[in-house]
Amino acid sequence: MNSFKTLLKNELKLNFRNMNMVIFAIIIPVIVLIVLGFIYGSKPAAEGMEYTFLEQSFGALCTISICAGGLMGLPLVVSEYREQKILKRFRATPVSPTKLLAVEFTIYVLYSIASMLILFLAAVAFWKVRLYGNLLAFFGSWFLTLISTLSIGMMVGGIAKNTKTASMIACILYFPMLIFSGATLPFEVMPGIMQKIVSVFPLTQGIQLMKATFLGLSVSSEVVTPILIICVITILCFGISIRYFKWE
Amino acid sequence: MQEAIKVEHLSKSYGNLRVIDNLNLSVKSGTVYGLLGANGAGKSTTIECVLGIKKADIGTVSILEHDPQKDRTHLFQKVGVQFQESSYQAEIKVGELCEETACLYKNPTDWQKLCREFGIGDKLKSEVKNLSGGQRQKLFIVLALIPNPELVFLDELTTGLDTKARREVWKMLSKLKDEGLTIFLTSHFMDEVEVLCDEICILKKGKAVFYGTVDQAKEQSGCTNFEEAYLYFSGEEAEAE
Repeated sequence: MNSFKTLLKNELKLNFRNMNMVIFAIIIPVIVLIVLGFIYGSKPAAEGMEYTFLEQSFGALCTISICAGGLMGLPLVVSEYREQKILKRFRATPVSPTKLLAVEFTIYVLYSIASMLILFLAAVAFWKVRLYGNLLAFFGSWFLTLISTLSIGMMVGGIAKNTKTASMIACILYFPMLIFSGATLPFEVMPGIMQKIVSVFPLTQGIQLMKATFLGLSVSSEVVTPILIICVITILCFGISIRYFKWE
Repeated sequence: MQEAIKVEHLSKSYGNLRVIDNLNLSVKSGTVYGLLGANGAGKSTTIECVLGIKKADIGTVSILEHDPQKDRTHLFQKVGVQFQESSYQAEIKVGELCEETACLYKNPTDWQKLCREFGIGDKLKSEVKNLSGGQRQKLFIVLALIPNPELVFLDELTTGLDTKARREVWKMLSKLKDEGLTIFLTSHFMDEVEVLCDEICILKKGKAVFYGTVDQAKEQSGCTNFEEAYLYFSGEEAEAE
């Protein structure tokens, strides 16, 4: 496992040096939080609600860094390493593709954890946000959302022909998910037909789960379906990205 | 003497273009083997097929008694590779690249010492992209030696090096050979081949046109100078005129 640690340390350093992810996964979510904080402050989500708008949005805020890492960072770094023949160099060493992918995967998990912690601390300190639901349940939903989104990214990076294709697929996934899955535009304000369409995004399911668990809403019996959808997508994407991994 | 590399009837085509045509190679342990030929003669493709990075159309390859296609993880514990085009992460530093390479092996060598021996010991904190061409070339030879390999592949090992640096590299490689390392190299410098190689194979359009020692090449071609003997076999002489 020593090689995993060393690779992780080095790749993390390189990722920091590049700054893209620091901006998109750490700074941008904080800016969105600040903007929402100034607009809504501690106002309730709606007339007569006991929780505030910020509390309702907290889960969605956490997904900004998940999207940045899973749908932009991860697929692009993997396809870039392939195009620049860095993977070819690794091909002539004993390292396994699974280990390389796991290292990159872990980097974006770390970014998402950092982002969530920063958002939570800032939201608690400045806008008195508090968790109504069960911490473990919220953490579980966050984790499901995270690994499903990252697994999609890993699949894209693993099988895209080149960086151009990867970045195109990444954009096609990233922007609609970010805008329509409830991360930016609240799911509640969408018309019914649109809600049905965007429900296919694992991110939509994830955000709904995170919201319910954060606010401690009575989780409807339908909770099994979204969890199942997310799990199936995750396993499928992981499987494909390892099975069809290409060094060159 | 044991065979470190055994290649039999290797052929590879890209579309209609036959890049390697029925190639046979046998490299004995502890020797230096040179694969020569003009640009586009199929040297790099041969190395990639031998390493299992590209799949040959027909033929069998065995390296240190492993099948490179099937037994990659075990094989590359014992084999170091320097590709003709060196590739590295955009902003990686010399020390980081060495560390990242060393961590993949069970018994890596002391890479800091190796860097010092190759004269780039003071560059560990520099970014790889800021090195001179020669320093970078030395770094990639160092990377190939980090695994403490039994066998090393060096594709155009001294391209970009100045005369003094080339001689330093020769000295290092001769020393490693004395310690038992097997070296498979390609080169365009015939003086280098003459100094280093025990046996050579000259490729012409994917076909082997000569197997043997440097002296045999001179003898068979009737040339006193090895460079001329090489041109005689590779057929570049006529085109050059």
